[in-house]
Amino acid sequence: MTQVPVTVLTGYLGAGKTTLLNHILTENHGRKYAVVINEFGELGVDNDIVVGADEEIFEMNNGCICCTVRGDLIRIIGGLMKRPGKLDGIIVETTGMADPGPVAQTFYQDDDIRARTRLDAIVTVVDAHHFLLHVDDSDEAREQVAFADVVLLNKTDLVTPAELATVERRLRQINPYAKLHHTRRSALASTEILDRGAFDLKRILEVEPDFLESDHDHEHDQSVGSLSLTSDAPIDEQKFQRWISTILREFGTDIFRSKGILDIGGAPNKYVFQGVHMLMDGDWGNPWKDGETRSSKLVFIGRKLDAEQLRRGFEACAVR
Amino acid sequence: MTAPSFAQRLPPRRRIDTGAWVSGLTYDRAGRRLGAACGDGRVWRIDVADEAPPTPPEPAHKGVAMAIVADPAGGGFISGGDDGQLLRHDEAPHEVETFKGRWLERLAAHAQSGTFAVAIGKEIVVYGPSGRRLLGPHPSTVTDIDFSPDGSRLVATHYGGVTIHVLKPADAAPRKLEWRGSHVAVRYSPDAKFIATGTQDNALHVWRLATGKDMQMSGYPVKVKQLAWSHDARFLFSTATSLFTGWPFAGKGPEGKPPIQFGDEGAGIMTAIAAHPVDSFIAAGFDTGEVQVGDSKTRRSAVIKLAGDGQVSALAWSPGGWNLAVGTDQGVVELIDLRR
Repeated sequence: MTQVPVTVLTGYLGAGKTTLLNHILTENHGRKYAVVINEFGELGVDNDIVVGADEEIFEMNNGCICCTVRGDLIRIIGGLMKRPGKLDGIIVETTGMADPGPVAQTFYQDDDIRARTRLDAIVTVVDAHHFLLHVDDSDEAREQVAFADVVLLNKTDLVTPAELATVERRLRQINPYAKLHHTRRSALASTEILDRGAFDLKRILEVEPDFLESDHDHEHDQSVGSLSLTSDAPIDEQKFQRWISTILREFGTDIFRSKGILDIGGAPNKYVFQGVHMLMDGDWGNPWKDGETRSSKLVFIGRKLDAEQLRRGFEACAVR
Repeated sequence: MTAPSFAQRLPPRRRIDTGAWVSGLTYDRAGRRLGAACGDGRVWRIDVADEAPPTPPEPAHKGVAMAIVADPAGGGFISGGDDGQLLRHDEAPHEVETFKGRWLERLAAHAQSGTFAVAIGKEIVVYGPSGRRLLGPHPSTVTDIDFSPDGSRLVATHYGGVTIHVLKPADAAPRKLEWRGSHVAVRYSPDAKFIATGTQDNALHVWRLATGKDMQMSGYPVKVKQLAWSHDARFLFSTATSLFTGWPFAGKGPEGKPPIQFGDEGAGIMTAIAAHPVDSFIAAGFDTGEVQVGDSKTRRSAVIKLAGDGQVSALAWSPGGWNLAVGTDQGVVELIDLRR
């Protein structure tokens, strides 16, 4: 069964989400998208399907406290799948105040949705002019950036170069890993937004070829930030699985995104994993190449990350 | 060479390729026609006795035809679509009401009282001989509705439980039964003693109406989207299982008892289920396209459609139970004649 890619579009009210949607839909003549929006805005759509959503957030009754899903999205995607003809993609716009967690978790939790669609990327539009005004007192503004695979730093024409640099530094404190674009009026080629494969374990290595080598300069945000852990010692698979599932179970509410490439002792292939809150996926990726330096790296983006505890825990996963 | 001889033992059938996801199937009240609601907006009315291939109808809905029931006030059907249209199909389709921008995904009908109902977001509209009535709003979008066997009540599922509306007398307050989580299917037991729901959390939930006491059957591998009570209310079956799994509700109920289980492992996971209207049979369709009919009395089952054609998305028994209709997500409809 071919899976339809789903792009989640977040950002504060007025940041430029609707403008971006209009660009995507008018640029891609001949392709067919379904767009799930919260209010019927001014979308120039002829060939495409626009569905209004209610943002109904439901707790899963499975003992996992942070496990919430979007009940309306399950119904809407179920309905869209009944239409004849293949969709090239589904774009889900969230309201300005939405936490992206429940949307992302829906794609892990619902069997029908998992079978017929795949979460492609979380794209966040940030208003360069207003971001610093609300980032410090809005959990949502920080979470939207923390969850993002792609960030459009929009309305760059409304700020000075110095202001832009300040905004970018603040964004990078929260999420140093997202692909960042400077835009005006949300103008960006849709290839930078759609079909990114950000949740595809097989593509993590292709999309971020320097994942293992690169090290971002961390300036830690007190509340929401990122943490990267590296190890040159091979990892014991069982120890790691035990540790990561404990960490995500205990701290999953505060860990928004996690991603990693591991050198499992004795294994010819890289082990790749990624997660959203408590939910995670892991699988074997490409083999290590001849002469390639084997090493492991984990990144976490979240709230109140205990760097010391995570580092000690990860180090204890090394093969002895 | 067991397969070919086995295939020859399958009951006779007619096969129609509708070309679009079969989202709902039902026979009309007389059992003369099968109605099929499809993903391309077409609502097929297939003459059961006419062996000639039916002519494809014009699409009745602009998007997906999402649900269909037998018209309790006439000889045809009522359908709902994601175009917001509620349509009545006699010879040609005509509008009952249009709810702009809404998806009409759940319908229920009660033949004896001439009443039908449609879920519209958080509300329900009931159409009966005494007119139109609005129920709700409910705490969240209504995910399924069902009439009580005597038609005096209508139960709605939503997040956090079910609401039972009293249709007669019309001024009685609704009754709420709570259970945390998202409920996606609901069915009254044929003896009106229980209400069962299927949940997003891979479980069944059942309330005993006399006491309000509830029970949970969990551990299904996927969410439970369809339920079927055996016609005598002795067993509750559901989808989301590879074997026929019936919880025993005769006598003191299922507490502390295991379910009855029968069937063949390996047919897949059940995606559609329907109880025979007058006998102890249950039809189950699988994600492999296979269909089996099981008997809750003898606890045996037989394959009546081989795997293929996508997942089984809908099943319907004719009013007398002599015909079974199967629909799949790849658009195949089979009318299976069980008399021979």
